Amino acid sequence: MKKLVALVLALVMVLGLTAAFADDYHFEIVSKGFQSTYWQAVLKGATEEVEKINAEGKDKITMNFVGPDSESDVAQQVQQFTSALNAAPAAIGFAAVDQNAFNDLLKEALEKKIPIIGFDSGVPGAPEGAVYANASTNNYVAGTVAAEGMWEKIVARIEAAPGTVRIGEVNQDATGESVTQRGLGFIDKIIELAAAKGWKVAVIGNEFYVNGVKGEKAAEADAKIIIEAKVPAQSTVELCANEASVLLNEDDLISVFGSNQVAAEGVVAADKNLFKCGTGDDTVIAVGFDSGATLKAAIREGVMYGAVTQSPVGIGKVTIDLLLASAKGEPVADTDTGCAFYTLENIDTPEIADNLYD
Amino acid sequence: MHMEKSTDLRKQARSAFIRSSAFQRLILIAVLVLLYGFFYLASPSFRKYTTLVQICSNMYYTLLMAIGVTFPLITGGNDLSMGTGLICYSLIGSYLMRIYGWPLWAAILITIGMGVAMGAVNGFGVAKLDIPPFIMTLASMMFCRGMGSILTGGFSGTWPDGAEPGAEFRNVFRLIVKTDTGRMPVPLGMIWMILLVIIMSLVLNKTRVGRYTIAIGSNKEALKLSGVNVLKWHIFAYMICGLFTGFAAVTYAATFSNITPGQGAGFELNAIGAAIIGGTAMTGGSGSVFGTFLGVLLISLLQVGLPFIGLNADWQLLITGGILLGAVTIDKMRNGK
Repeated sequence: MKKLVALVLALVMVLGLTAAFADDYHFEIVSKGFQSTYWQAVLKGATEEVEKINAEGKDKITMNFVGPDSESDVAQQVQQFTSALNAAPAAIGFAAVDQNAFNDLLKEALEKKIPIIGFDSGVPGAPEGAVYANASTNNYVAGTVAAEGMWEKIVARIEAAPGTVRIGEVNQDATGESVTQRGLGFIDKIIELAAAKGWKVAVIGNEFYVNGVKGEKAAEADAKIIIEAKVPAQSTVELCANEASVLLNEDDLISVFGSNQVAAEGVVAADKNLFKCGTGDDTVIAVGFDSGATLKAAIREGVMYGAVTQSPVGIGKVTIDLLLASAKGEPVADTDTGCAFYTLENIDTPEIADNLYD
Repeated sequence: MHMEKSTDLRKQARSAFIRSSAFQRLILIAVLVLLYGFFYLASPSFRKYTTLVQICSNMYYTLLMAIGVTFPLITGGNDLSMGTGLICYSLIGSYLMRIYGWPLWAAILITIGMGVAMGAVNGFGVAKLDIPPFIMTLASMMFCRGMGSILTGGFSGTWPDGAEPGAEFRNVFRLIVKTDTGRMPVPLGMIWMILLVIIMSLVLNKTRVGRYTIAIGSNKEALKLSGVNVLKWHIFAYMICGLFTGFAAVTYAATFSNITPGQGAGFELNAIGAAIIGGTAMTGGSGSVFGTFLGVLLISLLQVGLPFIGLNADWQLLITGGILLGAVTIDKMRNGK
């Protein structure tokens, strides 16, 4: 009798243990860093979604969200991804700082059958089948949205200008998918809009952007518009500010685009000594990307004309949903989390304000 | 006979001058003038007054760290914790203001105070526990890097900017003057910097702190035998470095407002490089605050000027490395090796 009771208790214990482990999922998320408050908003979205799912009681999720010190720290991110793989998680969320440094590790994840969900710039060029889906903004489209928002403000000035005009672009790097796609999307759209007016466009500066442009480029001597793309050696605000200063010092500059939060903050920092940016007809029209306290203040003060916002909180949330679905073996598909152009006029509307952060 | 003797004397005086650190600073001034001239001729946009302002505001926090590190360097030591320390202290300062509502002046005091405290810890490790300065300050560098992130939960911090209350502290470094044609920035910070260079030069050359610092670097044993409390003055040299790192933290916050955790590693390399280019010997025993100032000016000129001629910051690193090597070689040749 005692033996029977002991056996039943043991069985109940074992069953209880398996029940406790039944719906537990551990996710490793390797982001591009904490370099801007943008990533903290992504973390916020992910954390809120994890809490919501855990509160519902059916699934239990734990998450480890890491990122390198800066978006140029490729070696550090490789190390973090390796640790993530070794933790044998149910799935991995990943935004690569370099499109080419992870092929071996991704193949390993594929072999171990660990699903990878890309977010933000994702992992373009990954081995076939490694990345199950992406939660991101279409960055090329986001670049075109910036160009359209800027064009409305500058087209009349270009028409009235006697000679060539210059449009600047500061990109924090030429390696990450998000920044490069935005940079190229912006330039291609300007070329398209200019062609509709019969204007030729020359593209100069950083070789990656000059060569990556799809639109038709003219020689500098024949062009009405010169687009100058600049990239600093490291992705820091100080170095972006130095590049932005060179652009702002040019007399024929009418507008400048900073293709992510760091580059845009660099433009704002550079302008603190030069006072060139503004919203009037004799000022340089600055357009930024994402938000953060510095950019929001710059827009409210009239230093920056506008910016494109993504939905970072949405990206965090969708990433967790995709991770859970892929861990359960359910089908997943790419999800475009959207973007919008905002200026002082619409910065306080709910659609925009919910996506902005400090 | 008489003629030979006076020629000999002149030769001796000339070679003594060449061997002096004053000569090295003279070369540095010549290099600065030539480089500025080169950028001036090569780029029309470089010639504007605002570029000068930019060179000034670009160098404040590096100059403060460089002045500070000159002291440990003269004792034959080093301080690698300045860069991550700067970020850590200003992060915590911003955290105190934003989350706990502390007033600006309190946050500034705490930021500077943390620098001094870390300097004391570094000094204690090096002077009392005999830990090699490289190792001790490497450890505190890692500590600062982690601590800032842990205390703020990995979040960036912002110091008051724009129209926010308290943002006037930024005017200490830069005044905006309204002119007929618009607004003109005046690099007020440069005046404070030059004052600090003069004060710290006097401290190094005319006060006990400075003389003992130099003595620790050139002959620590002799100083000890002469009855001086070497431990105290050795730690003090590191506390001076910590104090200036604290100043640099506030200055960085005034220039960039947004402080991101995990950054900062590498800032100190520019500061240390500048001090060495300026004539401070890495083996200790000699140095010059004015030389350090010239060294930082050179690095800032390169950082700002190279993008104007189309070369990006990679070249700045290459060229600075070359200049550093040149400075150390001149230093060795000077000392008759």
